[in-house]
Amino acid sequence: MKAIWNYIRKEEWSPYIAGILLGVVGILAVWINNSLLGASGAFENLVGIIGKAIAPDLFNNMYFNFVMPAEITTNVILLVGIFFGSMIAAITSGTLKFRVNDSEQWKKVYGPQLWKRWLLLFVGGIILEYASGIAGGCTSGLAISGGMLLDPAAFLFIAGMFASGIVTAKLIYGKRY
Amino acid sequence: MTAYIVSFVLGIAFGFALNKAGLTKYHKIVNVFRFTDMAVLKFMMTALVVSMSGLYALRGLGLVTFPAPPATYVVGNLVGGLIFGVGMAMAGFCPGTAAAGAGDGKLDYLIPGVLGFLTGAAIYGLTYQQVQPAIMAIANYGNVVIPDLWNLSPFLTVLTFALMALLLFYLIDRAGWQRKSSDQ
Repeated sequence: MKAIWNYIRKEEWSPYIAGILLGVVGILAVWINNSLLGASGAFENLVGIIGKAIAPDLFNNMYFNFVMPAEITTNVILLVGIFFGSMIAAITSGTLKFRVNDSEQWKKVYGPQLWKRWLLLFVGGIILEYASGIAGGCTSGLAISGGMLLDPAAFLFIAGMFASGIVTAKLIYGKRY
Repeated sequence: MTAYIVSFVLGIAFGFALNKAGLTKYHKIVNVFRFTDMAVLKFMMTALVVSMSGLYALRGLGLVTFPAPPATYVVGNLVGGLIFGVGMAMAGFCPGTAAAGAGDGKLDYLIPGVLGFLTGAAIYGLTYQQVQPAIMAIANYGNVVIPDLWNLSPFLTVLTFALMALLLFYLIDRAGWQRKSSDQ
């Protein structure tokens, strides 16, 4: 029992153990809820709610009314769960702490300026979310959820993601790649 | 209501797994693309093998029917993936891991990160009509899974995938696919 608790408290688990946990979560989502895991869709629901509050005419379109309705869906709840689940995990390992950029590797590559980090995460977020829309899901909703059903879309997405990810990392890292 | 509670509990477990696998860290994600730390790939492949085996076994036993899988439209899935990879290698997160990273206290994920996702979602939703139907019209196979599409035995397809995952783990851990790096 003590050994199990000590393992749970470790900051980093074996990727195989953590992977088994995620796999079981994926099974339960289908089995209990008849739904798939996903994250990018939740941001679309959320921005629909915000958009309809600020600019109701602009956001009164087919997409925010029917495709990704502006409401609190189970995907939004799942996303909130992810936030708190990670928080609980960080509490068990004693790593929960407010920070603005804690990555040493990032600072080596892009420099220590905070504005750069914040700007790139903002721009990165836009790119990732738009790409998820085009592809039909993100790493959770398409790669994992589609992949576990053996959906061809998932493997096309994963192939594209790795191909451009490798090239982009090479360009950014240059000689340090 | 039950669906909401289940989603919340599953989200907690999902976020817990993401955190313990290290996916809330920039370097864990970007280093997969540099072949210097393949933990994230092992994590994803393990999850896929476990969930795939479980779900196809349950379907074989008649205990579940699959929800509609994400639609396959070759160009969109692939091009979306290509753009996604650029963002992921640049920022070192994705929608789910951004939420998880915000949960362990990363204000850069919570503020500019989440604002970026919301902005991207708004741009996508407002341009959806002009962009998506055209992309989805190309090579669209609908909501299919590989065993049904190509008329393969689900058991053998899952087994083949599992063996490929094991081969991948072997190549990473034993055959030197993971390179050494000095900057971690």
